[in-house]
Amino acid sequence: MKALERHRKLTEIWASEPGFRGWFSTVSHTDLGRMFLVTAFFFFFVGGLLAMLIRVQLATPHSAFAGPDIYNQIFTMHGTIMMFLFAIPAFEGLAIYLLPKILGTRDLAFPRLTAYGYWCYVFGGTVMLISMLFGIAPDGGWFMYPPLTGAIYSPGINTDFWLIGITFVEISAIAAAVEITVSILKYRAPGMSLDKMPIFAWYALVTALMILTGFPPLILGSILLEVERAFGFPFFQADLGGDSLLWQHLFWLFGHPEVYIIFLPAAGVISTVLPVMCRTTLLGYGWIVAATVALAFLSFGLWVHHMFATGIPHMGLAFFSAASTLVAVPTGVQIFAWIGTMWKGRPELRLPMLHLLGFFFTFVIGGLTGVMVAVVPFDWQAHDTAFITAHLHYVLFGGFVFPIFAGLYYWMPHVTGRRRFFHLGELAFALVFLGFHVTFLAMHWVGLLGQRRRISTYSPEDGWTAINLISSVGSFVLAIGIAMILIDVILHALTASRGKRNPWHAGTLEWAMITPPPAYNFASLPHVSSREPLADDPDLPVRLAKGQGYLGTPRHGWRETLTVEIATGKPDMHVIYPANTRLPILMSAVTGVFFLSLLLKFYWTVPLAVIGVAILAWRWVWGLGRTDDLDAQALGHDITVPHAAMTDRSPGWWGSLFLLTANATFFGSLLFGFAFLWTIAPGWPPPAWFMASVPELALGLAGTVLGPVAMRAAIRTNRRGGNPVAGLALVLAGAIALALAFIFLLARTPPPTEHAYGATLFVLGSYGLFHAALATLMTAFLVARVRRGFTSALRQAEFSIVSLWVDYLSVIGALVLLAAHLPDLLG
Amino acid sequence: MTDLIRILIAPLVWLAAFSAVYGLHGLICGHAIGGIAFGLPLPRVLMVAAYALAILAQLALLAALYQPRFASPSGFVRFVSLATGGVGLVATVWSMFPVVMTTYCT
Repeated sequence: MKALERHRKLTEIWASEPGFRGWFSTVSHTDLGRMFLVTAFFFFFVGGLLAMLIRVQLATPHSAFAGPDIYNQIFTMHGTIMMFLFAIPAFEGLAIYLLPKILGTRDLAFPRLTAYGYWCYVFGGTVMLISMLFGIAPDGGWFMYPPLTGAIYSPGINTDFWLIGITFVEISAIAAAVEITVSILKYRAPGMSLDKMPIFAWYALVTALMILTGFPPLILGSILLEVERAFGFPFFQADLGGDSLLWQHLFWLFGHPEVYIIFLPAAGVISTVLPVMCRTTLLGYGWIVAATVALAFLSFGLWVHHMFATGIPHMGLAFFSAASTLVAVPTGVQIFAWIGTMWKGRPELRLPMLHLLGFFFTFVIGGLTGVMVAVVPFDWQAHDTAFITAHLHYVLFGGFVFPIFAGLYYWMPHVTGRRRFFHLGELAFALVFLGFHVTFLAMHWVGLLGQRRRISTYSPEDGWTAINLISSVGSFVLAIGIAMILIDVILHALTASRGKRNPWHAGTLEWAMITPPPAYNFASLPHVSSREPLADDPDLPVRLAKGQGYLGTPRHGWRETLTVEIATGKPDMHVIYPANTRLPILMSAVTGVFFLSLLLKFYWTVPLAVIGVAILAWRWVWGLGRTDDLDAQALGHDITVPHAAMTDRSPGWWGSLFLLTANATFFGSLLFGFAFLWTIAPGWPPPAWFMASVPELALGLAGTVLGPVAMRAAIRTNRRGGNPVAGLALVLAGAIALALAFIFLLARTPPPTEHAYGATLFVLGSYGLFHAALATLMTAFLVARVRRGFTSALRQAEFSIVSLWVDYLSVIGALVLLAAHLPDLLG
Repeated sequence: MTDLIRILIAPLVWLAAFSAVYGLHGLICGHAIGGIAFGLPLPRVLMVAAYALAILAQLALLAALYQPRFASPSGFVRFVSLATGGVGLVATVWSMFPVVMTTYCT
């Protein structure tokens, strides 16, 4: 087959629907990555406009530009949009667009999940924007501390928009994190062992794992606060056994890692772009990987440093102060590795490099002020002042926006296939750099002079007038610079001339394809034997186009790719992707109905939405799999591997594993909250304890044992060619027994509106009941699949997936029941 | 997956130990646990014991990662896992050092 014919056939198989309709049905990572990035930058500009409004307000004393109520909404939405609707989705968009290309494969692990996550992001973000247009936007600050945000002090719907809107958007982050994790671990070019992975993939992997473990505490906190506001469960009310500090713990358990979740992908961009700009290779690849892992973990041990002023004991302060200073070490390792890379190479001051230099200068200052605020006595002085605002902007703008602009200019020729023609970018960089430093250096200064964060006005007598005016002028210079970048990008996309492939002479695989990239990425998949395959083999793109790699012959209209063993990069599975579908947008719309129903308190539509999501999820999964046994599939080069449905560890199993990791973090945070309230909160013991019942406990524990045991028996029976339905019926019985135990628990829990003890127990029971219902649904689905011939002695993948969820139900079921019954049984 | 666990295990154990020691500290202060053991205040003894246990666990992990029986066959993974093993140990010693230095409930 000739290269052109192969290109046409592959395009026919992989292309999205043409035109506007394709936006709604595409599952292509290239399309969705671009859509994510465009949407994220749209929100960046909205957040930037809000920042301008803040600076207008603060430019002069006694400003009447915005009243305090509107000003509260402006700064809350600025922070919220930048953190949740720009930074994280920009990472997701970049990773979604880039990873399959840089890893040498054709798409991400779960293309429909990518689309579902994107639409959840769009709908959730739109809800937030609508609240702003109607003047009912969140106004409690981007970290929403109760009791200010409780129903007593914030009775309107503003806070609910934040709690429900952000939780909706977080679905997108979790979906993307599962997607990215499984894709990096399993969907790589053959031969790409862990040590040959492009460095960006390591950063993206660590970031995705951090999202999976960092976001669940925030989701839990948001649910608890919304339940408190809607139903009066007093999780954060000190007079009823709650504690507002619980919110701070849950929020910052998310919030501090969030800073690194934002920084690490940007560091991935730096580690990828910098060596190319310096015409060398990255210095200290192994050290950088180790430093990234270290940074990720250490970032989870710093959350209390946001709470130094809450009156916690000295030893607690010292723990987190020590951990906060420690985090400078792995950051320093990366900075020195980058400096070493520049030293080793011959840097060229092209536009991406200018932004990288902007990053160095800015981020190092932000890091140093970070060490300053890690020291408790200094933090007590600077806490809640403009100094902190300036510090966090140095870290986030320096550590994310500059590298992202570098990445934007670096990969733009890849996205468009064009070369830059207008050179506005250099001037824009100068304005951004100068504008940023004028704005935020001044803000450090005025913060040290005592200006508080979030104040809507000040007096001339405070002595802050000139500094604030300088800061505001700087911010408008910054805004002009960013507007020029926007114009530069639009001009590039619309008018620039065709460019050559690989204009930077980079060595990574994304440049081994025609640009703009075709829907299938690679006509055949490469074999990788180094970290820079393209540098080692400049003819690689031609050979791949000729079909000399793996899976080079289109067949059966399949969108096919392969997976590899995690460590070695040896091919281990053949995968056929689903085609274009509108199911993801439909499912995210129904998910949106669920959240909107909660927001507008139309509670009768909540169960309808839940049933709708369940039906669509059933339809979603039903479309996968086969009713016949596929032979081992030839990949080319005399390699054959089994189809994914014939394995124990299918992509669905890996996806479930990492989704359950996030779920377990959520559950762990809930248990932490229970223990925290029990131990620390005032107003304990509660007026009434849960009365233990041995029969109910025994029923539930029997269910926890029966489910996994019966599932394993069903798997064994299926492998021997027998009928596994009887075993699955026992699994159902186990899940139902647990569901009954949870229902009894919920029915007999002390009134949840009277004390945080009853409220927390109610949430624990509801969590257990939800998972029992989920396991029941999944087992019923499996029974239906067995009866319709979707499984066989060889096609066993679905058993392993359901087994994971049944096991998880057993573990959390036992813990919930013990947490409820044991205290009374032990007296 | 085993190679990933080799890389992640030491920092993960640090995180668990750090959280556990902070939790123990909360428990001691929240329930006003007092008393004397070995001639020293019981809270201090408990926390120092937890600190020592955490260091021992990290040392054992690091020693295991050096053993051919547990080490990865990949040189790269071996290097990164030893580096993160070192991170786990240093983080444990440094971040929990306050248990021997500062007052515990004031």
